[in-house]
Amino acid sequence: MANMPAPSIPNLLTLRGSRGGSGTRGRIRGRGGAQSSATTAPTPSHDTIIQGTDTDAAISRMSAVDLGYLDDPYARFFIQAPAVGAAVRRLPIINREGQERQIVSLGAGTDTRVFRLFQRGNQHKLIYHEVDFPTVTDKKHHVVRSTAAMSTVLPKPEAIAETHTWRDETLPGGSQYWCHGLDLRDLSKPDATPLSGLRTDIPTLLISECCLCYLEVADASKVMKHFTDRVPHLSVVLYEPIHPHDPFGRQMVSNLAARHIRMPTLEDYADISKQEARLRDAGFDTAHSLTIERIWEDWVSPEEKERVDGLEGLDEVEEWNLLAGHYSVSWGWREINLDGWRIGPG
Amino acid sequence: MSDLDKAIAQLRACRPIPEAQVREVCHKARELLIEEGNVVTVTAPVTICGDIHGQFHDLMELFRVGGDPPDTNYLFMGDFVDRGFYSLESFLLLLCLKVRYPDRMTLIRGNHESRQITTVYGFYDECLRKYGSANVWRYCCDVFDYLALGAIVLGASNTLEPANEETTRDDIEIEVCNADRAIISQFSRRGKMGSSEQGSPNGKAERTGPPGSAASGSSGGTVGNPTGAVLCVHGGLSPLIDTVDKIRLLDRKQEVPHEGAMCDLLWSDPDEIDGWGLSPRGAGFLFGADIVKVFNHRNDLSLIARAHQLVMEGFKEMFDASIVTVWSAPNYCYRCGNVAAVLELSEDSSGQGFFARSNGDVGRSDGGATKGVLMDSDENFKRGPARRYRVFQAAPQDSRGMPAKKPVADYFL
Repeated sequence: MANMPAPSIPNLLTLRGSRGGSGTRGRIRGRGGAQSSATTAPTPSHDTIIQGTDTDAAISRMSAVDLGYLDDPYARFFIQAPAVGAAVRRLPIINREGQERQIVSLGAGTDTRVFRLFQRGNQHKLIYHEVDFPTVTDKKHHVVRSTAAMSTVLPKPEAIAETHTWRDETLPGGSQYWCHGLDLRDLSKPDATPLSGLRTDIPTLLISECCLCYLEVADASKVMKHFTDRVPHLSVVLYEPIHPHDPFGRQMVSNLAARHIRMPTLEDYADISKQEARLRDAGFDTAHSLTIERIWEDWVSPEEKERVDGLEGLDEVEEWNLLAGHYSVSWGWREINLDGWRIGPG
Repeated sequence: MSDLDKAIAQLRACRPIPEAQVREVCHKARELLIEEGNVVTVTAPVTICGDIHGQFHDLMELFRVGGDPPDTNYLFMGDFVDRGFYSLESFLLLLCLKVRYPDRMTLIRGNHESRQITTVYGFYDECLRKYGSANVWRYCCDVFDYLALGAIVLGASNTLEPANEETTRDDIEIEVCNADRAIISQFSRRGKMGSSEQGSPNGKAERTGPPGSAASGSSGGTVGNPTGAVLCVHGGLSPLIDTVDKIRLLDRKQEVPHEGAMCDLLWSDPDEIDGWGLSPRGAGFLFGADIVKVFNHRNDLSLIARAHQLVMEGFKEMFDASIVTVWSAPNYCYRCGNVAAVLELSEDSSGQGFFARSNGDVGRSDGGATKGVLMDSDENFKRGPARRYRVFQAAPQDSRGMPAKKPVADYFL
């Protein structure tokens, strides 16, 4: 379908006085091209559909950047067509401190965090691993090699022969980036080969942003176990939907099912206390979980809230609260001093 | 069959009418609306509806549950357009019904009946998509500027017409029915009765608490007192408006401003605060129970009915039933999982019930001073009309012919 001749869309707040946001920021709008390929294929496999969720994520990221929610110069390189999407916030990047560190991001897809981290001139030696399906990592490799702005950050993105994994081990300060093309479920096997370049002797952060939730419960646990068995100084952050049983949750499950998206872990980890228990069961001494709603209310500074509120104006307050109440961030650690991330009396 | 009736039939089938006809209908509607005051007077019986948001098939379900127009009088409290896929058909159908049955259809303006909001939340894009130009959007926006800002319902009865063959006691203040017209729960003026036995979910145990469903559907029954009129407005109150007459004095025929009384009426929300507060929406204000009680007392109102906020149970009474939110878009945005409701007020046929004089010039000896109102609790409050909420769910999926285009980024994935 041809894009409609949409003129620039006025910002809701341009005419409002003191709280007005970025008045001149235009919005790129168009229809078509924004749909994930997964929704058009006749009978795509579940894997293909789950890969398609990364297209959603990339589009949301782009929209958030367009609107000024995020500052991410790399987002656009993963968008194939002028795309439109409801502005969706992704989580703030995770702050780190210390010396030699490692991050393992599961199902990273088109995530651009690594470019922003390394572009900043990282102070510390950082080993950054991303894991995703081979088709995803191949595509990412292609985009990075053919995009000057990204090749600058990762100057030597070299593929490892006979695999879908590529890496750049030449980053400043001894930092490394690894992009592993494999089926995450391979890591759930008892005889799984550890990720190439995975260090087991340094503090490590394992990230899953809406990734493990697509695996069967047992597989998701085994993937976590793969890392808890090998890396002593380990922390974890999971970002997942919760509350599948209330009216909004039931509708969410049903809407996703209509897109052939299934989240097997949703039933087992249906609220924040179950998410916390899951992390404790996985061997993390300390575990916490909060809804996005709580994090937005309690953790985001008034200035940042005002900035975000000022970007577009939000006439979806109740809807936002519902949505934000159905996503959780859960985190835990062991043998790392992360007391700053401890909450509550526990 | 007149052209207008044909247009209504076509729109009822969810098919857009030709651009030229839209222009004509909008022109006629404007001629009609220009004669209405900022606050329309409506006489009970009337069925009060909240946000529709382009959910055409659910609007059809609403008519099935509430009765077909013109047999049922309707008052829609705005937000006809945006978010849903059929804003155009929904709004034009309501507008055609307004032109066809002007005394039986009342439409007041919501915050989405605005040029600026519709360009962001979907109606503008929908018009472009369906007509290839923005003309129809412009015609509709010109009508928006003439929509009334509020309505006063007079002559509502203290008692309900029976909902069905079952006997209805005449001291029922609140009755909740499902889409099949069966009574879910009833609440008398003196205390709770009927099928719902749990206490009020808002924690005020001495008050009655419908609907059996869940937390956000809360109603505290009022106790016997004289009744007053019902003010209907999309959003709520404004710190710049202390009498209904001040609403009447506004110059409404314009785009919704970004601040001021007209903006507040369309954007504000009641909240559990004292006095006024800043709204998270960035327009309008939050207002507390004290504000509502003083306003109702001063203006001889028993109830404010408003829409604007998604409530999961379809309706929510607050502040000792001095204000109610009515929400009529089930499974809002095809994602929220909520039920919807309409509020029925019966006609007072006894001749003994309340028939208020025009409000706004109460001329109380105390000038509506706050002290008595807030201190003396129920003594000073007008008795609310009997209220029947009909709760309904989204139209069945197969009736709506969901468009092939799926909304993108519905969830964080």
